[in-house]
Amino acid sequence: MNVEISELTRRFGRTQAVAGVDLLAGPGVLGLLGPNGAGKTSLLRMMATVLPPSSGTLRLLDRDPHSYGPRREIRRRLGYLPQNLGYYPGFTVAEFVEYFALLKDMPPGRVPRAVAAAIEHVGLGSKARAKLRTLSGGMLRRVGIAQAIVNEPELLLLDEPTAGLDPEQRVAFRALLREFGQRATVIVSTHLVEDVAAACSEVTLMDAGKIVFHGTPDELIAQGEGHGVGDAPLERGYSAVLAAARS
Amino acid sequence: MTATTLPVRSRPLAGHPAALGLARLLRVELRRNAMPFVLPLIAVVFWFDSYRIAATLPPLWAERLFYIFGQGHSLIDFAPFVAGVAAWMGSRDGRRGLADLLATGARPRFAVQFATWAATAIWAVGGYLVFMGATLWALGRSISYGAPPYWPLAVGAVGVAAFSAAGFAAGAFFPTRFTAPVAAFGAVLACGTSSQIGFSAPSGWQLILPTNSNNNFGQDAGVFYQFLPDLPIARVMFLGGIAVALVALLGVPVTAGSLRLRRVVAVVSAAGAALAVTAIVLASTAQLTAYGTVIPALHDAASDQPISYTPVCGNAGIRVCVQPGYRPWLAEVTAALRPVQTQIAGLPGAPARAAQVATLFTVGGPGRGRGGVGQIAQISGQPAVLHLPLGALNLSGAFGQVRTDFLDAIKLQTMHAFVTGGSGYGDPAQTAVEAALMKNAGIPLATQAKRALPDSPWGDAVVGLPGNGGYPAQIATAATRFAALPAATRHAWLASHLTALRAGRLSLAQLP
Repeated sequence: MNVEISELTRRFGRTQAVAGVDLLAGPGVLGLLGPNGAGKTSLLRMMATVLPPSSGTLRLLDRDPHSYGPRREIRRRLGYLPQNLGYYPGFTVAEFVEYFALLKDMPPGRVPRAVAAAIEHVGLGSKARAKLRTLSGGMLRRVGIAQAIVNEPELLLLDEPTAGLDPEQRVAFRALLREFGQRATVIVSTHLVEDVAAACSEVTLMDAGKIVFHGTPDELIAQGEGHGVGDAPLERGYSAVLAAARS
Repeated sequence: MTATTLPVRSRPLAGHPAALGLARLLRVELRRNAMPFVLPLIAVVFWFDSYRIAATLPPLWAERLFYIFGQGHSLIDFAPFVAGVAAWMGSRDGRRGLADLLATGARPRFAVQFATWAATAIWAVGGYLVFMGATLWALGRSISYGAPPYWPLAVGAVGVAAFSAAGFAAGAFFPTRFTAPVAAFGAVLACGTSSQIGFSAPSGWQLILPTNSNNNFGQDAGVFYQFLPDLPIARVMFLGGIAVALVALLGVPVTAGSLRLRRVVAVVSAAGAALAVTAIVLASTAQLTAYGTVIPALHDAASDQPISYTPVCGNAGIRVCVQPGYRPWLAEVTAALRPVQTQIAGLPGAPARAAQVATLFTVGGPGRGRGGVGQIAQISGQPAVLHLPLGALNLSGAFGQVRTDFLDAIKLQTMHAFVTGGSGYGDPAQTAVEAALMKNAGIPLATQAKRALPDSPWGDAVVGLPGNGGYPAQIATAATRFAALPAATRHAWLASHLTALRAGRLSLAQLP
């Protein structure tokens, strides 16, 4: 398993953001669903080794991120797209991706090819030399995805990756997720159930810091049959599970 | 997006050359650094504040570089911009909301920050060295003798690096948009305070301050004797220590890297601080010698060797020789001495030749820090030689000094050396005779006192005399009367009474 989480909690002052999460994830695409404030981003940040847990155990890629050495190894094999992607406006697309490739400690000799491949993957090949300040919001999101995949991560964590992408790009992005899911663990936090339906082999639903559902998209759909509200089957399953959890 | 197949993974994650990766990171940072954008602005400020003024000063390295290096104007021009931009770069990651993403980097955070700072410092120090190289080249075109001192240049370069380190550290620890202007203002304040302390502190630990101009830039340094490197070396230690301490401080926080790395940089930071403190202690042991400030622990005796030279000479009725660095003023010196020589030639003690001597550093009180103040011309030897410390005079071109002032100062000093000697002002009879001879040598009586006050020829001894811009009435009357005598009569009287006059045995009433 690339992700092994047991009784994981995270507290910010009086707020319990993550309240005892257990999760196992191997290769494949895992959709992380949940309403605002459910704890998805906090959980992703802990898996990205940005945020230390308050309690519980977390093992990533068979390593304990608590110690510096293993944490560094994890980070070399990690791709992360945060919810709010900051950027350096004066950098070009290629420079930005190269910068993060170097930060991920990639062998310098491999960086140019990897950067070019990542940029091509997100369809920004023609914009490689464009300054980031000249790009649209959707393009910037794709730059963020490019930096996340540049090191061909074994664990790819994406927080709202399709926000700002146009429909065509979202379709292409789902294909990318499926492709990565064949050999890596991809965890996608999203509000868009269509993305989950199209790309995810597993789905986890969080509410109030806890996991209230874990299964396949079909199993989630089944939860909504005859219950729940929503236009799509997955949405009905989503709302039904949440309603059951809250009751 | 295209769903192309990714290349098969085959990566040896450990053992790759980390230095090469850091170099590539540095290359990206160099390309996208903010510092190059402010270099043109610094160039304008530097030209206006430093170069423009230095270029008008007399063509001697010590004269021209006193303003730029001695008073530290080159550093003052750079420091606020460098500190501000460095703080901007240091706060970049925080301001841009990249903290989370950067935190997932495998490379130690300290290494990444170091690359950003290094790029900033390389641009700043590189800009400084380029500007100074161009300045030295431009200033040196009209300087015919010697070479510029390079240790003060190193002080400036290391000082720029220190300000960049201070600004960057401020930005990294307080990543807000206000940190940069605050850092720039802090640099202005630091330079201003350093200058103010320097103005009133010719000795002690304050000498370590890079804009303290006291006792390290003598007029004749680089001409008669070497520029002593002791104090600049201590300043390089001081500023370098600060730079190292502050940059290494970035590696101390828990997020900076491994425990081992953090321990190492903590030790390096402490070593930098220790180096800076050591430099301060060394500066407090500084002693002022004839050739400048000596720090015993750093002093190399070879620096005390005078510079050998072949003098260049002219004719003013007597042979007049100056150090070749003063060649541009030889004509003025002979022009000044010629009318003086006309007045005193053939009299007892009149010089048979004139030779320039080195202006040496003196131990001065507050406000008298610069070398040479109070040194005057003297006549000694057999046959008598007029020893002229030209460096103690304001050379024509120095801070508003005009040619006439320079010539008159030489006449005054020579006449004083001939009649009275020493640094005292002389008794009324001596003063009257001097005044008369100077009048006949071309300095009107009314302007003599202005010439004499406050700089020369008697230095600070003239305070209170001869009065508010004029001689006392009795002296002026006697001088006018003596000057009006026929030359032969005056000459004959001087020939018979000079010994008594010099000995102070004549009163004003005994003058013809």
